[in-house]
Amino acid sequence: MPLLDIKNLTLEIDTGTQVIKALDKINLTVNSGEIRALVGESGSGKSLIVQAISGATPPNWTITADRMSWNGNNLLSMSEQQRRQILRKDIGVVFQHAIASLDPSVTLGEQLEESLPEQLIEGSWFWQRAQSRRKEVIRTVHKVGIKDHEQYLQAYPHQIPTDIGQKLMLAMALISQPKMLIADDPTRGMETTTKVQVLKLLSRLNQTRSLGILFVSHDLLAIASMSHSMTVLYCGQTVESGKMKQIRKRPLHPYTKALLDSAPSFSKDLPPKSLLPTLPGTIPTLQHLPIGCRLGPRCPRAQRACVNVPSVRKIHDHAYSCHFPLHREKV
Amino acid sequence: MTRILFRYFVLFTLTLLALCALSFSLIYLFPAEPVTTLTGITPQNLIQHEALINQYHLNSNILVQFGDYLSELFAGNWGVSLISGQPLSKEIMLALPATIELSACAMFIVVVIGIPLGCYSGLRAYSNADFTINSISVTLYSVPVFWLAVIFILTFSLQFGWLPLSGRVNLLFDIPHQTGFLFIDILLADNLDKSAALSDAFLHLILPTLSIALMSTASMIRITRRSIIDVLNKPFIIAAKSKGLSSRQIFVRHVLRNALLPILPLMAMQITTLITNAMIVETLFSWPGIGNWLIQAIYQRDYSALRMGMLAVSTLVVMITIAIDLFNRLIDPSREKFESVTI
Ligand code: SF4
Repeated sequence: MPLLDIKNLTLEIDTGTQVIKALDKINLTVNSGEIRALVGESGSGKSLIVQAISGATPPNWTITADRMSWNGNNLLSMSEQQRRQILRKDIGVVFQHAIASLDPSVTLGEQLEESLPEQLIEGSWFWQRAQSRRKEVIRTVHKVGIKDHEQYLQAYPHQIPTDIGQKLMLAMALISQPKMLIADDPTRGMETTTKVQVLKLLSRLNQTRSLGILFVSHDLLAIASMSHSMTVLYCGQTVESGKMKQIRKRPLHPYTKALLDSAPSFSKDLPPKSLLPTLPGTIPTLQHLPIGCRLGPRCPRAQRACVNVPSVRKIHDHAYSCHFPLHREKV
Repeated sequence: MTRILFRYFVLFTLTLLALCALSFSLIYLFPAEPVTTLTGITPQNLIQHEALINQYHLNSNILVQFGDYLSELFAGNWGVSLISGQPLSKEIMLALPATIELSACAMFIVVVIGIPLGCYSGLRAYSNADFTINSISVTLYSVPVFWLAVIFILTFSLQFGWLPLSGRVNLLFDIPHQTGFLFIDILLADNLDKSAALSDAFLHLILPTLSIALMSTASMIRITRRSIIDVLNKPFIIAAKSKGLSSRQIFVRHVLRNALLPILPLMAMQITTLITNAMIVETLFSWPGIGNWLIQAIYQRDYSALRMGMLAVSTLVVMITIAIDLFNRLIDPSREKFESVTI
């Protein structure tokens, strides 16, 4: 049974003047011990998915789904209380903007202690518990690669550099020893060495503790080597998902192909000094979404049928939604 | 820390100096003889005139005059009132506490009612409760203070006769002046029916306090509500929710402090409005405060009183503003410790 199983997740945002379908029938699963990459350009709704899963939704959002379950329990129908427990114990979330996601008026040490669930604290007297809390915090902070904990645990968020903030955010997500980690671009803007450090830590946790990871990024290069499977998102629709290897070898969706082609190291037969292949145009804004397949206006293979939303088709566990996939000849 | 305190001290002194310079310039700007506006004494003959001019160095260089003016101010020699002939320091010390008492009570109501209501409607933003609170506060905010005071007098004092019409306390109570704050004075006084005096003073306080507090409460509700809504939309609240904290924990640990910190400096601005309104309302309720006193001075062209009254009130306002800003600086960790000091 997958840890997280999402089928046909739709998110509608009511802006007051119109209702925008920001996510349209998203499918996503994360198995225990699996690293799944969730890839898409910025604006494709990656962060919206993260927020929808973490349950912190503004009142003007409407979320519907055929299935959205955690370990077999329906997340949408359970009580607030139960859902909080799951978030507290089993799911760790790293948000995109680390510094903004930290409370500016509370020291980082206190914020870390706050993320620690009661069950992990030892001792029955309050001083024992305080000590145990502190030990746990320092241990986790060391684990994510921050050495001088004294300096940073006392500090307030505006006093620390961004990459330390990102690491602390990661520490905050990992401190509860979750079963799954949702990481929204945790390495954004980091130096290469730091980035490698963090990615290594995540793979190690995945192997030793069989931590399931949903790795959200637009940086295909960084995560291609460590992820087991991948889901590609375009403009709030899942366009293709499956095993990493399969998709890299043989993408079926025109968008996935364009994405892979635009990352030079993936296309081996690229002649020197040639233009990188790209799709014309840019990702549409949420206010002006095309009907049917949202890639339509930019797709080189688009035809009349594409004004209808393509349904999901499957070849084994490789799913795609396109009327004219690449393995079929153009009609 | 010492550095911040020092900076605030410098700022305070400079502002005070500017205020003193302004009040000094009034001596020459008022349509009366400088000697008269400065001392409050109208010289009866040439000899007295000459003597006063010599005493206050009015013939020397303007800087010398200003220096002299400052040292007289600090020595507590503020001149006498043109009309009553009483020393101004005494008159102001009599009137100012009454105004402070009134404003402090009003501020208490503003904080105790405004902030909780604002929090409530911010947390329930765009619900019916929020709309109700919000429309009431917009209405109250738009009501002119002097009109409201008159309406209060008409209904509660004249129509129903529930509350006294004017003054601070019934004249039957003979309360010796000690601190100028009535409630403290009553408690200090002996051979007096204290509970009766206290309740009488309290009844006198209700109407004036309400008439100035309502408008500021309304704006406090709106400021708090806005601030709460802003904080609720911050990413760190989303992050806190994803940690699985309960709404109560989130409100207490993360929302409240972050929402109240930006309110504090705005509160300082509220206090100035409050004092201004207090001065208007004092006239209507014959409250023996500084506002009432200043209005009298204006009517009677009491130039020396006007000069000192303006200085006293503005010093009070500057003091409160700087104190609140300093307090805010000390408790807000996200403000850079060495960012320059401004008001
Ligand atoms: S459905 Fe049509 S428009 Fe969409 S990706 Fe396939 S071919 Fe292109």
